[in-house]
Amino acid sequence: MTAAFVLEGVVVGLAVGSIYALIAVGFTVLYKSTKILNLAHGELVLFGGYLAVAVTSALTSLPLPLAFAAGVAVTLLAAAVLGFGVERAVMRPLFGQPLLSVIIVTLALGYVIRGIMVGIWSGETKTFPPVIPPTVVRVAGVPVSLVGVWSAAAAAVLLTSFSLFFRYSRWGIAMRAAANEQLTASTLGVSLKRVFAYAWAFAAAAGAVGGILLGLWLGVNFALAAVGLKALAAVILGGLDSVPGAILGGLLVGVVETVLGGYIDAHVRVFGHTLHGFKEVTAYLVILVVLMVRPYGLFGTEHIERL
Amino acid sequence: MTYARPCGDFKTSYAQDMALLDTRLYRWGFALLLAGALVAPWVLGRWIFLLNDIAIFAIAATGLSLVMGFGGQVSLGHAAFMAVGAYTSWFATTELKLPFVVALPLSGLVAFVVGAVVGLPSLRIKGLYLAIATLAFQFLVEYVIVQTVSGMGGTPVPPLDLFGAPVNTEARFWYLALAVWLAGAVFATNLTRTRVGLALMAVRDRDYAAQVLGVDLLYYKALAFALGAAYAGVAGSLFAHYNRVIGAEHFSLAQSIDFLAMVVIGGLGSVWGPHLGAAFVRTLTQLSKIGAPLLAASIPMLGRATTSMRDIVFGLVLIGVLVWEPGGLATLFRKLKRYVDLWPFPH
Repeated sequence: MTAAFVLEGVVVGLAVGSIYALIAVGFTVLYKSTKILNLAHGELVLFGGYLAVAVTSALTSLPLPLAFAAGVAVTLLAAAVLGFGVERAVMRPLFGQPLLSVIIVTLALGYVIRGIMVGIWSGETKTFPPVIPPTVVRVAGVPVSLVGVWSAAAAAVLLTSFSLFFRYSRWGIAMRAAANEQLTASTLGVSLKRVFAYAWAFAAAAGAVGGILLGLWLGVNFALAAVGLKALAAVILGGLDSVPGAILGGLLVGVVETVLGGYIDAHVRVFGHTLHGFKEVTAYLVILVVLMVRPYGLFGTEHIERL
Repeated sequence: MTYARPCGDFKTSYAQDMALLDTRLYRWGFALLLAGALVAPWVLGRWIFLLNDIAIFAIAATGLSLVMGFGGQVSLGHAAFMAVGAYTSWFATTELKLPFVVALPLSGLVAFVVGAVVGLPSLRIKGLYLAIATLAFQFLVEYVIVQTVSGMGGTPVPPLDLFGAPVNTEARFWYLALAVWLAGAVFATNLTRTRVGLALMAVRDRDYAAQVLGVDLLYYKALAFALGAAYAGVAGSLFAHYNRVIGAEHFSLAQSIDFLAMVVIGGLGSVWGPHLGAAFVRTLTQLSKIGAPLLAASIPMLGRATTSMRDIVFGLVLIGVLVWEPGGLATLFRKLKRYVDLWPFPH
C-alpha cells in the first residue's frame, strides 16, 4: 500500500464520503426526532436520483444548467411532499407501536416506492445530461473527476446550512428539543406531530440530494438503494443519534471503503482468487465490527444496559 | 354440536387440556385438511407446484416465527440461513456423495451452528442494532456465495432420491415436503409449550424480568437463532433439490424481507401464523408472476408497470396489516371464529 495509493484513496474517499454523510444526516435526524430507523432510506435516495434525471432530461427547451436547477428544485419539493405523505399516512397511525412493526413498515414502504419506480422508470441505468463536464481536476496532486469535487462541495455547503438551520432557526430548535426530550418539548408547546412531519420531509429531501449527487457521479440505477443502506454504516459508526457523528461516520466510511476495500480488491488474493467487489461489502464489515466493539458508535448516546 | 367451541370449559383430564386439537371441530377440521393435502396431487394437477412452494417457505417461516414471534429477536438475514442449508445440502450430495436422508438433517445441523454463532451478538446488542447486524450478515453471505461457489449464475444441484426411489415429480416431492412440513410444524408447536418455548416468550416480553426469573439469556437467545436457522437450513436443503439450481438471487435480502412479511402477515406469536403467512405470500408471488403478463396483455396501457405489481401489492398489504391488524391473519381467523361462536349475539 503505497503512500500515493493511500492519498488518492483518501481524497476520493472524502468526496464519496461527503455524499454518504449527507444521506446519513437524513437518517440521523429522522432517528433523533422520531426514534424510527428508516430502512426505506435507500429508496428515497433512488427516488431523488430518478426524478431529477427525468425532470432534467424532460426540460430540453431550457438551457442545461437551468433545466438541472429546475430538476433539483422539483425533486426536493417532491421528496419533501413524499416525506410528509409517508408520515401522515403510514407512520402516524403507528405511533407508539413496537419497534419491530415500525422497522417492518419502513421495509414495506421501501417495497412500494421501489415497485412504483420500477413501474415508471423500469430500473435501467439513467444518466444525467452532461451538466458538469467530464473533466478531471487535481486535488492535492490526485486526479479526481470534476463531478466528485462538485458533489463534495455541494455536500459541504448543504451540511453547513443544515447545521445552521438546526442551531438557529425556530423549527430547527423545536426539532432538537423534541429529539432531546419528547415529553418536555411537547409540554413547552412544540407540536410533536409537526416535528415528526418535518423530520420525515427533511430526511426525504436529504436522501434525494444524496441521490442527485451520486447520480451525477455514477448514473442512477438500483444499486443506489444499496448506497443508501451504506449510509447506515456511517450512522452506526458515528452513533445513531449524533449529527456530527453521522458526518464524520460518512467521511470515514467513504475513506475506509476506498482505501481498504480498494486495496483488498486490487491486491489481496485468497486461494489465488481475487476478491472482486470487496469494496461493496466493506461498509457492512464496518457495521459488524462497530456493533461488536462499540454499539453506540463514536458519539452516540451510551445506553447503559446490563444484559 | 354446532358451535366452534362450546360455552364453558368441559375439560376433565390433563390429557384433554394439553391436546393440540382440543375440540371435535378442530380434530375433524385438521383430519380434513390432511386428507385434502394427501389427495391434492390428483385434485390440483399441475398446480401442485404451488403447494410445494408454500411448503418449503412455510418451513423456513416457522423458524423465523420462533426467532421473532416467540423469541422477540429481529432477523433480517433469514434467507442467508436458508442459503447455508441449501449449499450444505449441495456440498453433501455432490462432493461428499451422501444420500439425501443424511444431507437434509445435516443442512439443518450446519445452519443450527451458524445460527447460534450469529445469535451470539444478540446478547450484546438488541432491537435496532440487532436488525442491522443481521442485515450485514445477509449481505456478507450473499457476497460469499457470489465470490466462492455460484458466481453471478447458479450452481446445479442433483435431483434427489429417497432410499433409491427417485423423487422426480412435483407430486412425489409434495409427499416428501408435506412430511417434513408436518414434522417441523408439530415440533415447533410443541416446542412453544415446553420449558424452552416459555423461556423464549419470557425473554421476548421483558428480558430483565426473564433473567431475574432465572432464564439464561445468552443460552435462550442463541438457541432461538439456532433453531430458527435450523428450520431455514432444512427448507434450504429442500429448496435446493426442488429448484435444482441455487444462486445468490434465491437467498437475497428481498427474500429475507419476504420471510419477515410472511411471519408478520400470518401473525406474530401464533403457531398457525407462519403457515398462513407463507401460503399468502407465496400464492401472491406466484399469481402475480402468472398474472402480470396476462394483465399487461389485456390492458396494454399498464405496460411494464405490471412487473412491479407484486412488490407494490405486497408492500401495501404489509403496511395495511401492521396498521389495522397487527395480529395478522391468525388474529383475523380468531375473530371470525369468535363471531361464529357467539352468533347471533354480539358478545
